Amino acid sequence: MEIFFRTLFIGVVAGSVYALASTGLVLTYRTSGVLNLGYGALALLMSFVHWQLAVVWGWPLWLSAIVVILVVAPIVGALLDLALFRRLVGQPPVILIICTVGLWVLLQGIVIFVWGSETETVPSLFPTDTVGIFGARIGIDQIAILVIALGGAGILAAFLRFTKWGIALRAVVDNREVAGLMGVNSGLVSAGSWALGTSFAAMTGILLTPQLLLDPNLLPPFIISFVLGAAIVGYLRSLSLAFAGGILLGLIQAFLIQYGTFRGILGSITRIAPFLVLSVLILFAPRSVRRTSAGSSFVVRVREVADRAPPGAAMMVGAVVFGVLALLPILVGGSVSWLLAVTAGLVNAIVFLSLVILTGYSGQISLGHTAFMGIAAFTTAHLVSGAGMPVWVAFALGALAAVPAGALIGLIAVRLHGLFLALMTLAFAFITQELFFNQPSVSGIEGSVVVPRPPGAEGNAAFYYLVLAVLAACALLAVSLRTGRTGRVLAAMRDSETATRALGINVVKYKTIIFGLSAFMGAVGGILFAMIRQAADRLDFLPFYSLIYVTLAVIGGLFHVGGAIVAGLLFGLYPKLFGQNELMLDIQLILFGVGATLALAREPEGIFGELRRGGGKLLALVRRRRSRAIAPAEEPA
Amino acid sequence: MRELRAEGVTVRFGGLLAVADVSLDVPVGGFVGLIGPNGAGKTTLFNAINGFLPPSSGRIRYGDLDLTDLPTWRRARLGIGRTFQKLELFGRMTVFDNLLAAAEAGTSRLDVASDLLHLPRRRREESKCARIAEEFMDLLGLGWARDRFAGELPVGTARLVELGRALCGGSQVLLLDEPSSGLDSAETKAFGRLLTGLNQERGIGILLVEHDMDLVLDVCREVYVLDFGKLIAQGPPSGLAADPAVRAAYLGEEDRGPSAAQASRG
Repeated sequence: MEIFFRTLFIGVVAGSVYALASTGLVLTYRTSGVLNLGYGALALLMSFVHWQLAVVWGWPLWLSAIVVILVVAPIVGALLDLALFRRLVGQPPVILIICTVGLWVLLQGIVIFVWGSETETVPSLFPTDTVGIFGARIGIDQIAILVIALGGAGILAAFLRFTKWGIALRAVVDNREVAGLMGVNSGLVSAGSWALGTSFAAMTGILLTPQLLLDPNLLPPFIISFVLGAAIVGYLRSLSLAFAGGILLGLIQAFLIQYGTFRGILGSITRIAPFLVLSVLILFAPRSVRRTSAGSSFVVRVREVADRAPPGAAMMVGAVVFGVLALLPILVGGSVSWLLAVTAGLVNAIVFLSLVILTGYSGQISLGHTAFMGIAAFTTAHLVSGAGMPVWVAFALGALAAVPAGALIGLIAVRLHGLFLALMTLAFAFITQELFFNQPSVSGIEGSVVVPRPPGAEGNAAFYYLVLAVLAACALLAVSLRTGRTGRVLAAMRDSETATRALGINVVKYKTIIFGLSAFMGAVGGILFAMIRQAADRLDFLPFYSLIYVTLAVIGGLFHVGGAIVAGLLFGLYPKLFGQNELMLDIQLILFGVGATLALAREPEGIFGELRRGGGKLLALVRRRRSRAIAPAEEPA
Repeated sequence: MRELRAEGVTVRFGGLLAVADVSLDVPVGGFVGLIGPNGAGKTTLFNAINGFLPPSSGRIRYGDLDLTDLPTWRRARLGIGRTFQKLELFGRMTVFDNLLAAAEAGTSRLDVASDLLHLPRRRREESKCARIAEEFMDLLGLGWARDRFAGELPVGTARLVELGRALCGGSQVLLLDEPSSGLDSAETKAFGRLLTGLNQERGIGILLVEHDMDLVLDVCREVYVLDFGKLIAQGPPSGLAADPAVRAAYLGEEDRGPSAAQASRG
């Protein structure tokens, strides 16, 4: 009984912190329309500022916490709103989510740049002595955390209920359009809500880190998983249900740790509990919730370019690009590192292409493509080493192994749209990572298994040509998809699913097909990725990388084959172009990402869109020159 | 060609009775109007007929077929097409591609594998469907807008594209949901003539939901009147204007009419 009470108490304490955090997340989402996946990274940054003030500079803990929560965090939040999110109002949800992924990378990069990627310990604000309650020994710090979290929620509730500003905020939470009509200053409200949300993130970090460790790589995904899970309990709408969700997840976690002496796969359940809760809640969400704006489709509004290049010209440019790529091993001479960098770039391009056909052509979304990549790579590894199959056969079977998983997500996409589908695919990546890739039976004791290159393509140059051939095949498949009947059905589904059904199209079939096909293409990319270094490592397929892949695909250009190739090469060649220093690499990638993300608000077709527009202008210029050169000659006649 | 019948259809939203025991009949080659004030349940009945909403009770029959348990896309394959009051065009596709996609949905037997692998069937099926699309594009006078994006068309043209899409899809019976909303009176008249032509020359059955009473009285041979989900009158248009129940339902409608029209435009 004593253990039960202690567990209950620990659960409520941890839960109250998650509750506070998820309230902050939902508040910002409802007022600004941005579901901030970078929330965990924001908490990380604030915790490190606190650590710097209190531990390095020796400020009193209390003073440091107050300064961070009440001064630093609100300023950072308001700045984020002014510099970034204010400019993105009205952008489609996929762009908004990608910006928050960019924010995540940026903040985590800043932390690693400034403080390094070492794990730090943060002292508790409160004495850690214990007192006896109901016969259980309970830490005073735990009681204090509970009081602060509940107090924070109470202050928020009172603020929302009784102050003029709070009422304006609540009006925006309930209905943004109407609040705008009634003269609520939405700019002020959105800056305020970002400030408030960031304060909550700071509080979360400062309260949680004494119990956990201040780990720049692990803290953000840990926090975001619990915060998303809790927020989904209120379906991203209700603040009080989001709070209750936090407590619920805290309790589930505490009881699983206390009573679940599971081993192996079952032991992983504790870590993915939030995502299991999230999946179940989203899958069985009532129709009214699924049809809200959060569930609306990811149709990206693009100002279509009226003077589209004729198909012949596009194919010619493509042929030239592939021709140059085919000569590349000769061009780079004996430089193995350059050859491998370009190989990696082309492998990336295959993965990006799988996102182009899924999101660009079909309006669907996946934030979990690493799951397909990993399933394929590990399956291939085991078919070769365990079952002794020829590498070519294992390659094919491994890629096919991801198709059922993709088709399953496709079936889920029949029920879910937009943000909910995106979160579901993200949950899928986390669950796959924990249940499969992290198991020693899958990724070995050392977390890495051998994936040999196929016979005939063992050498670096031969392997390069294999990758190039696969990319060419995927590109042709994508073009064939876009220009044919299947592509028209998918585009129709993207623009109006209602009308597509009314025309006699079986939407279930086509969603299964496109997710299956995209998963297959991603899987081929995953296997080739492993073959570059001849090993599949569980750290290669972290769910976080799924987010990075989508971000880079959007930056490259999500609507064209060319965009995937541009993004792939850029990402692959980056280390060669900008030096080898890991830290500088991160920072440069981040700055590049943020710059490009900001540019996206103006140019949703990405770098490729800009290139093509530039090419079109150049072509027009040449034509004008030529006609001018001809014109005088004709005049005398 | 088959007759489309709704038999005792009831649709409930929670406690709200949206459509109450309505029976309705579109004979082969028939031209039937369905009128009633806002919120009378007309669109809900449409959704029940084409399968977007399962009725709480009642059957939808199509000749000797029972459609009630079939999904929307199967009903469409059998020849039941519809348009939408709130336009549902494929906005980022060209007008021609809108029609082509519809023709393919209706008649193409091209499987995904042959399509993606560029087998000879692909070209054959595509040119067959392109001919259908061209035919209806000419019939509706949409040739000038062929390569325009459907999302940028004026409402009048957009309504024609929606009609063309349903026709390319091989519809034998058309459910048209307020096709004249957003059109001026000249456009509405032309649209009415077009529908009459389709009905008389091609024998396509039409069920028309309309606010424009002139259009309904002009083109329909049989009219049903809904109010608060119930059928309150039925008959040829000439007799209906005098019907006391219809007058009662529509006196209020006269007041609401203009503001409702504005709301749907805004």
